Amino acid sequence: MMTENKSKVLLCTCGKQLGLDFGLLEDNVGKLKLASTIVVHDTLCQEQGLSVIAESLKENNGRVVIAACTNQKIQPKIDEFLRNRGLNPSQIQYVNIREHCAWVHEDVNEATQKALDMIRGTLARSALSSSYETARREVPAHVTVIGGGIAGIEAALSLHKFGYDVTIFEISDDLGGHVAKLPVVAPTGKPGREILSGRLKALENSSIQVLTNTRVKFIEGEMGNFTVHYSIESDEEQTLTTSAVVMATGFKEFKPTMMDEYRYGKSPDVITQFDLSQMILSGNLKRPSDGGDVKEVVMVQCVGSRSEDYKRDCSKLCCTFAIDNSLEILKLVPDAKVRVVYMDIRVPFENEMIYKESREKGVDYIRGRVSMVWEEDDGLHVKFYDSLLDQYFETTPDLLVLSTAILPSDSLEELSETLGYALESDGHIKELYGKLRRTETRRRGVVAVGAVTHPQFVFESITDAQAGALIIHNELQGGKIERVARGAVLNVDDCVGCSLCAQQCPRGVPLMIEQTEAEDEEQKILFKASIETLNCHSCGVCQSLCPTGATQLCFLSNEQLWEQIKATLEGAGPDYPITLCFYCEECSVSTMDIAGTRHMTYPASTRFIPVPCAGRISIIDILKALENGASTVMIAACEKDRCHIGGTGNEIAQVQVNVAREILNAIGWKGERVDMFRMFSAEPERFVYAIKIMTKRAKELGPTPVHQGTAGKWVEVSE
Amino acid sequence: MVEVNDTLSGPVLIIGAGVAGMTAAIELADSDIKTILVEKKQTIGGNALELYKAFPTDDCFYCFEGSRFRPGIRKCFYRSAMLDNPNIDLRTNTRVDEITGNPGNFKVKLTTGPMYVDPKRCIMCGLCLKRSGAFSLISPQCQPQAVFYDPSLAEESVKEIEKECPTKAINLNAQSTEEQVEVSDIILATGYTEMRPVNMDEYGYGKYPNVITQLELARMLDPNGESAGALIRPSDGAPVKRVMMVQCVGSRDENYNLYCSKICCVFALKHANIIVNERNGIKTTVVYMDIRTYDRHERYYREARESGVRFVRGRVHLVRPNPDGSLDIIVYDSLLDRYLSYNIDLFVLSTALEPSEEDETLQRTLGLNTSSGFVAPLDLANDSVVAGDHVYVCGAAMGPAEVPESVTQARAVVSKILQGRQ
Repeated sequence: MMTENKSKVLLCTCGKQLGLDFGLLEDNVGKLKLASTIVVHDTLCQEQGLSVIAESLKENNGRVVIAACTNQKIQPKIDEFLRNRGLNPSQIQYVNIREHCAWVHEDVNEATQKALDMIRGTLARSALSSSYETARREVPAHVTVIGGGIAGIEAALSLHKFGYDVTIFEISDDLGGHVAKLPVVAPTGKPGREILSGRLKALENSSIQVLTNTRVKFIEGEMGNFTVHYSIESDEEQTLTTSAVVMATGFKEFKPTMMDEYRYGKSPDVITQFDLSQMILSGNLKRPSDGGDVKEVVMVQCVGSRSEDYKRDCSKLCCTFAIDNSLEILKLVPDAKVRVVYMDIRVPFENEMIYKESREKGVDYIRGRVSMVWEEDDGLHVKFYDSLLDQYFETTPDLLVLSTAILPSDSLEELSETLGYALESDGHIKELYGKLRRTETRRRGVVAVGAVTHPQFVFESITDAQAGALIIHNELQGGKIERVARGAVLNVDDCVGCSLCAQQCPRGVPLMIEQTEAEDEEQKILFKASIETLNCHSCGVCQSLCPTGATQLCFLSNEQLWEQIKATLEGAGPDYPITLCFYCEECSVSTMDIAGTRHMTYPASTRFIPVPCAGRISIIDILKALENGASTVMIAACEKDRCHIGGTGNEIAQVQVNVAREILNAIGWKGERVDMFRMFSAEPERFVYAIKIMTKRAKELGPTPVHQGTAGKWVEVSE
Repeated sequence: MVEVNDTLSGPVLIIGAGVAGMTAAIELADSDIKTILVEKKQTIGGNALELYKAFPTDDCFYCFEGSRFRPGIRKCFYRSAMLDNPNIDLRTNTRVDEITGNPGNFKVKLTTGPMYVDPKRCIMCGLCLKRSGAFSLISPQCQPQAVFYDPSLAEESVKEIEKECPTKAINLNAQSTEEQVEVSDIILATGYTEMRPVNMDEYGYGKYPNVITQLELARMLDPNGESAGALIRPSDGAPVKRVMMVQCVGSRDENYNLYCSKICCVFALKHANIIVNERNGIKTTVVYMDIRTYDRHERYYREARESGVRFVRGRVHLVRPNPDGSLDIIVYDSLLDRYLSYNIDLFVLSTALEPSEEDETLQRTLGLNTSSGFVAPLDLANDSVVAGDHVYVCGAAMGPAEVPESVTQARAVVSKILQGRQ
């Protein structure tokens, strides 16, 4: 190693409270060949300590290793301090000697040895680090909104106020979507047209481009450079370049023609709630069959919703919708008899008061199910079961109104193929993360607002659209993107065009580009990957899958990780079997840190290496750990379906672990030396449990073939 | 004192640092807008911090959104580093005393209780925690990550500890401080309070120790909590074998709140599922009027039925304590039209979500619309997050809200503020 690859080591004693042998650490770290100088400090995170860090950056090309408490807490503070002084903190590496060593091991010597090994490993990682900086990228300040309903309109208006050029694509001949057809919008009590009117006027007075009767066929490209392919009526295809896409195609009402029991589509007097809305809106509340007066109405809730055969979930809006329409009927025909047959009446918050009002005005609620509908000469007959009275009743209503399920709009699946957002099992667009990132999708630069993700009330869709506009503004920053270029970098010369990265990236960042300009005739037919580092979420899934090492994280290359593994495990042997744990810096680091904060204890024969996401770990990384003397290898990852990166990093890791185990079993190395565990920061005992299993296995399985000297060495094949 | 030059660049005051308030602060900080984030408690996080598992994702509640300052989709709450964010001025243990001035230039008087431990200096080294019971860690997830000092538990040793604290973070003589700040906008994110039904004799809450609320149950189920996740009877610590939950306590009730509290059904069924599936052999019965698991939350209802949670449609008629600590409960089953008798160990009330105590004063001071005691939007048909001129509202301050709703509303607020400043 060259001398300039040495790093300065800063050891923090945490106010002299840390139960480690700092004298021994200082002596031994001083002997490490990759350590330049060592400073032992009592409080690195305080003002004076921060100045020491700032000074240290001036040596060794900015390479510093900080051994202190969890970087999850001090790194933001350190980064901020350094950036304010114009310093680049990107080459600082951290070792957690508090929550991961001193606080969780009873034996000071063992804890100190662990800290020393992990510092040695981190020095090796540091030696190969390169710096990264803030990068800038200009993109068109144009956003495309698909769907001209209330959510789409609101999103367009918000984005316009943020200063973006906006184009709205609407498939029908008019804007307004379902809201335009509502006589009353809960809980405002106002008609849909009134809610739309101010917005439509604002649209007219803006430079927002509105394309009606327009179908979006497909969209290709990536955030900052999407191309929308569309056609107006049946004219030929046109294209538009845009930087981000808002999906706002709303929902569609379920038409229960296949449900024989309700006679929808067969008897004209059986209608849906939206059909009823339109009758009310037009003031023409008559029996469709013969134009007779409407005196008696039966409404049925949950038609197609909460049903194993159609839609499993509740459609949320239909109860309120039915009650609103009941009250509208009573306004038009005060002596009408309205019955609502339901399973559970679901009216959130103050909608409960509308429910109460309707009961007081005489709407009859029957808990039960409609058992049969048929037509006779005197009209429609409905038989229903009342579960509270345990009795069947028969009636002859003028209208049977079905509160049918709210379904995703058409064409979501078709567009998903090129636009890359994920879909829920019910066909709606899948939210990036249901708790905190509802309006974002798997694909960066594609936002979904309103009922396109799940049924929403009008005011909720408006809120959604405003929030969605903010998300896009955060991403595009007015067209002048400025972001730290910390992520995957592709060396296109090494790419063989296998497309694994493009297929498996959790955020859909890599694109496969046809090599049309290649000089070599053979290259021309090839597709090669292209990765925009500024769009990358830095998980490393592409790196762990890439067969040639063409794509690598700029802050954790293959060489860096392998050198760290090797250095961490220096001296690992059969007498003190070591468990090497790769942990993701999301749920896993939290779980481990909290186990530390709670001073839970576990065996010290463990060595930890952080990775941004478990998906960064490849089969080779696992095998390298064994090759260098680990007895067992574990990966700590996020829970199933709860990958922080976008949903799949942890599952990719699981596949890598499974394959590694198969390989080990095939060559007689015992696959159970490798395992993966799911972490959860509210349950820190999960980590302790996992570590105990793996250290026990390390003892029980005995020396590895590497320890016994019977293993063939891994040989890197170089061209 | 913070100076405001014009209404387009002044700092924003956010009252309440729960899910909604934190989200608003982080989003504004990302756009380089200064905020003063005020929280009356010692730790931020609000009600969500005590909820253990979250719906709809079933992971722990301890996450907050990633930001430009801490990039990523989400980050664990304990490492939110809110205290270190240069654009956020976090004031815990602080109350809003008075708001004067005009929209766009509000003058706000803040009172901060004694800050015995400076959270910016505390490194949680553990020195004080080891030496005196007056110092404690509210939770391993608390934010700011700092120890808490309770003067009522002070011993002689605390003076020495104050001297020895390696970062001099402790000041035992700390006093309350007052400050007037000027802000251009105010965001109300005061959240909700879980109703404590001490006045409802029929349920025996406050009288029988084995009658608790859903939030109290959540704390019991939390492995980081006092009982380490075990379900035990508060009366004698005996393991719980039978649980009964009752819905709509204080909600949909003319004597208390007319409204539906919206999230209690999901909240209760989430707990019922954890109890039945993860705490072996505990029988659980839910007494309800309507099960309101809206939208995809229906999954919780399906899972509960499949897991063997029993549902009784009706009302609780009578609660009677037994000498052995268990409770006899008589329930009217409206489907069977019959009274049923149960013997149970833990009776959990799904109580109403009510406005926070300070809301009324704030609403009055700012002249806001209200509905059912919560802040009402100025014009719901137009904007659901605008409560007045330069006054915004998000989260459960405007009615019961789930975490994702609170987050979306907070973002909508920030969206509105930023649009107004373009």
